[in-house]
Amino acid sequence: MKRLAKTFPLLALPVLLASCEKEITVDLPDTPERLVVEGTIEPGRPPFIILTRTQSYFAPTDVNTIASIFVGGATVVVTDNGVPHTLQQICSGDLTEEEIQQAAALTGLDPALLSSANICIYTSTDAATFGVAGHTYRLDISAEGKTLSSTTSIPQPVPLDSVWFKLAEQRPNDDTLGYAWARLTDPDTMGNSYRWMARRISHRANGETEDPTFISPLGTTFNDKYINGLTFDFNAIRGRQFYSDQPEDQNDEAGFFKVGDTIAVKFLSIGRKEYDFYTTYDNNVGSTGDIFSTPANVKTNIDGGLGIWAGRGVYMDTIICR
Amino acid sequence: MPGYFWRRFRTDMHLRLPLSGLALLFACALHAQDRFTVSGYVNDSTSGEALIGASVFVQEIQKGVPTNTYGFYSVTLEAGTYTFVVRYIGYADLQRTVVLNADRKLNLLLRPTVTEMKSVEVVGEKRVSNTESTAMGRMDVDVQKLQTLPALLGEVDILKTIQYLPGVKSNGEGNSGFYVRGGGPDQNLILLDEATVYNASHLFGFFSVFNADAVKNIELIKGGMPANYGGRTASVLDITMKEGNSKEFHGQGGIGLISSRLTLEGPIVKEKSSFIVSARRTYIDVLTKPLINKDSQFAGSGYYFYDINAKANYRLSDKDRFFLSGYFGRDVFTLKGNEPGSPDFNIPWGNATVSGRWNHVFGPKLFMNTTATFSDYKFRFDGGQDEFKFKLFSGIKDYGLKVDLSQYPNVRHSLKYGAQLIRHIYTPSTVDVSSGDTEFNIDTPSKLNANELAVYAMDEFDITDQLRMTAGVRLSAFAHIGSFREYLLDDEGNATGTRDYGAGSTVKAYQGLEPRLALRYRLDNTSSLKASYNRNLQYVHLASFSSIGLPTDVWIPSGKNVKPQVGTQYAAGYFRDFADHLFETSVEVYYKDMENLIEYAEGAQPQDNGNTNYDAQLVFGNGYSYGAELFIKKRTGKLTGWVGYTWSKTMRKFPDINDGKEFPSRWDRRNDLSVVASYELNKRWTFGATFVYSTGQATTLPVQRYWIEQRLVSQFSERNGFRMAPYHRLDLAATLLNKETKRKKDPVTGEVTEVPRKYRSSWTFAVYNAYNRSNPYFIYFDTEGSIGNGDLRVVAKQVSLFSVIPSVTWNFHF
Repeated sequence: MKRLAKTFPLLALPVLLASCEKEITVDLPDTPERLVVEGTIEPGRPPFIILTRTQSYFAPTDVNTIASIFVGGATVVVTDNGVPHTLQQICSGDLTEEEIQQAAALTGLDPALLSSANICIYTSTDAATFGVAGHTYRLDISAEGKTLSSTTSIPQPVPLDSVWFKLAEQRPNDDTLGYAWARLTDPDTMGNSYRWMARRISHRANGETEDPTFISPLGTTFNDKYINGLTFDFNAIRGRQFYSDQPEDQNDEAGFFKVGDTIAVKFLSIGRKEYDFYTTYDNNVGSTGDIFSTPANVKTNIDGGLGIWAGRGVYMDTIICR
Repeated sequence: MPGYFWRRFRTDMHLRLPLSGLALLFACALHAQDRFTVSGYVNDSTSGEALIGASVFVQEIQKGVPTNTYGFYSVTLEAGTYTFVVRYIGYADLQRTVVLNADRKLNLLLRPTVTEMKSVEVVGEKRVSNTESTAMGRMDVDVQKLQTLPALLGEVDILKTIQYLPGVKSNGEGNSGFYVRGGGPDQNLILLDEATVYNASHLFGFFSVFNADAVKNIELIKGGMPANYGGRTASVLDITMKEGNSKEFHGQGGIGLISSRLTLEGPIVKEKSSFIVSARRTYIDVLTKPLINKDSQFAGSGYYFYDINAKANYRLSDKDRFFLSGYFGRDVFTLKGNEPGSPDFNIPWGNATVSGRWNHVFGPKLFMNTTATFSDYKFRFDGGQDEFKFKLFSGIKDYGLKVDLSQYPNVRHSLKYGAQLIRHIYTPSTVDVSSGDTEFNIDTPSKLNANELAVYAMDEFDITDQLRMTAGVRLSAFAHIGSFREYLLDDEGNATGTRDYGAGSTVKAYQGLEPRLALRYRLDNTSSLKASYNRNLQYVHLASFSSIGLPTDVWIPSGKNVKPQVGTQYAAGYFRDFADHLFETSVEVYYKDMENLIEYAEGAQPQDNGNTNYDAQLVFGNGYSYGAELFIKKRTGKLTGWVGYTWSKTMRKFPDINDGKEFPSRWDRRNDLSVVASYELNKRWTFGATFVYSTGQATTLPVQRYWIEQRLVSQFSERNGFRMAPYHRLDLAATLLNKETKRKKDPVTGEVTEVPRKYRSSWTFAVYNAYNRSNPYFIYFDTEGSIGNGDLRVVAKQVSLFSVIPSVTWNFHF
């Protein structure tokens, strides 16, 4: 729905007007740095916390500068039902190449970045920290003289009735490209929110997994405000890793799944604050350069900082595209 | 000025004005012995069109009155012999000796001094001297003369010309949206033959809905709004359509780069009734279709708009006259989604207005106009992709009835009083979504009904020969009435239940007093001082998700949470004419206070508007604006035109936006300069030029970045905390008129003579943005490359819309 509302004016202008673009220099005011949390906890998995800092918009973008946004040495405590667990700091410099691939899959970080710089995140190997659906988790972080806190709950997962691949037939005689489809029966109680993630787990010729991590295409977060208790079908395009330079992200196949792909589907159930975060996040990221939208900051559930601490109920399924 | 003064002034006004208004009404009834009245109409002698605002001047007493919107005037004088001089720019002065020993009816015909399509005067013209009336911040635009000014793609546009006037800001490059003295887009009352036009633009604001060929007169009131207007806080744009030539059949039209126009007019019954029909359609779709590659992203997409104006009038007698006019326009935009996940759309939207009017002259001193109006703005959006279907409707419909009486008891007083009733029917965004056979359960919000009522009285009173006062008061009331379903919301905004209001029951009602006062003190024959105060209430609001004004913007009523907007304006000015009224100059200063403005909350989303109250996503705040405006105009001669300069500041303050801190409005521009010139070289060539300069537009930019899920997130600065580069542009035009006469050979004598042409045509060549300035339209930040490859770059980009755009238009007239 949002996609519809957003694209309509955007596409109108280029049809009619020859606009031109040029690069300019903009002097931005100095703004105090803030800490950013990207934390998730899912059933059967330990919490993962990536702690970074904001940068001036035009700060350099070399690997060292990017690596310097990751905040190490923080005290990160996750409290489950009154029992605090202090998370361990794990740095990519201490990992083997194979472990880096696993870390990338779990955290969503770029494997190339993990190998080229020492990036630290916070997690635990203690099974007592693993998420349980229905539990509420408090997060406390102290780093660089700042304290941050938040709470989240893991909602009960909602299964998809079925998932499948269907040709998009967007171009004539195209019999390979399509979208992932799913049928959802929303529970009869109001207040369910969802987020779609998918990952191609089939391999490339060189043995690499096609997508190193799960990706959520922008605009795939929704709630049951209009669909409460209904059974309906929806589809999703193929998301693209921000850092991807794979040919299928540059050519006509961008956005499509393809016959031959195997897709792991991760369907998330989230709470209201998490829904607010992900929708405003999608909007913020997706509206770059869109004059028709009013600029808006991403809503956060972190006191004292930015970002998200998200408990996520997880339903997993697999699609073989044929 | 100290705050307590404003408060005192305001309180005083509220208490005293209504009383003084009443006192005046009684005072006027006392005179009128041994006095007689001359009344009648002033019309064009060739076409029969009524002349609005012509000056009927009585030499012996050195006083004059202007004709009203229907060309009617009335002067009451003591018995005697008088010399009447009737003046109107572009027409020969008419002098009549009137022996007054009884009430007289005197219809006056003025002869145009120049043939049409030739320009002596450009726009911004006033017929009664600027220093004479109490009017401040008021501008007339003579549409006939617009064609010699340069226009984007050759499309003559009334609203864009208005933007050249001081105190009026444009909404960015090529946009016809206008903003008056710090007011928002919903604060302009746009009337087409007295019917409200809710969305005055085509094509996302690039063209206005007014076809200049069908329009006779335009008046913009940006301050000192008289009491007969109400319902908006910033300005009134009163557009009068032509009546049609009542003597002969005529046509005119034009072929331009993107559209063509045709207008036909003539008598139905000679001298009794006439008609005019004017139509326009763009053909960008037709022109671009063959150029768009079948495999392109835009294949199958198209856009066009059209509009039709029609008007007819019938003169039953000298006392009764009927007018029926209508406008219908539609934009249709079709988009084929050829990108992954992008759907197909079909989006039609547009306005329709109808107004029926009855002029009745009760006696030489009392003129009545009764108007019934209908206006309708509709927006529809049909989209779909695969099994997913999406429909959205919104709109507003008005039924209005208005009675206005003008009374001219004696030459010192001119009274107006009347009443107005409007029934508004709002369709807030209504969505209908389905996927396959499953209909999503989106409540269809009940239409929102509201009644708006106003009564007013005003008097234009010459207290002394130097001091003239226009005092008025308007009492307005508004009620949001059922049927209405209110959603009961919890703290998070989730609906927990509903409350239903029955049909006709009052959901919420408001009323208020709107005092208006304008004073003119004449210093001498060529200069005067003026001051005005007005308080306006506005019960309708425009909720906009975008910052540029889109057809998706939704009109909503005042109601339980949305309070009426209040605009209070104080203005003062010095007006002076030079060189025997050849130059007209003015300096005006104003301060304006705005309360109960609305905005969508930060991060509000259109799709969240369903299944909740229509105002659930809105936040409320206040604003103020102050400024100084300079205006210098050359009225007649080969070179005509004006220079307008505005210095102003416009701020907004919303508790829920920008952390409650004051921020500049999007239309806050410190400096704004416009130069408009037209030069008539000879009978065939006329040149036009316009130049504008304004302070860069305020915009909100990200100041910090951070990363979530490996995507770049922008952290924004203070609202509108950044300025784009200044905007400036020069446009040029040249108009070549064909020869006035042609050679004709007498078949009998063989003698060759020059005879006047029946068909006249002209070519207008124009260049938009002559020196190719890359004016910023918007700025955005983007990333290129990837972190992994080490070539990631964050860049700021400025988008400019129009480079040099030449155009040619062919116009004809017969």
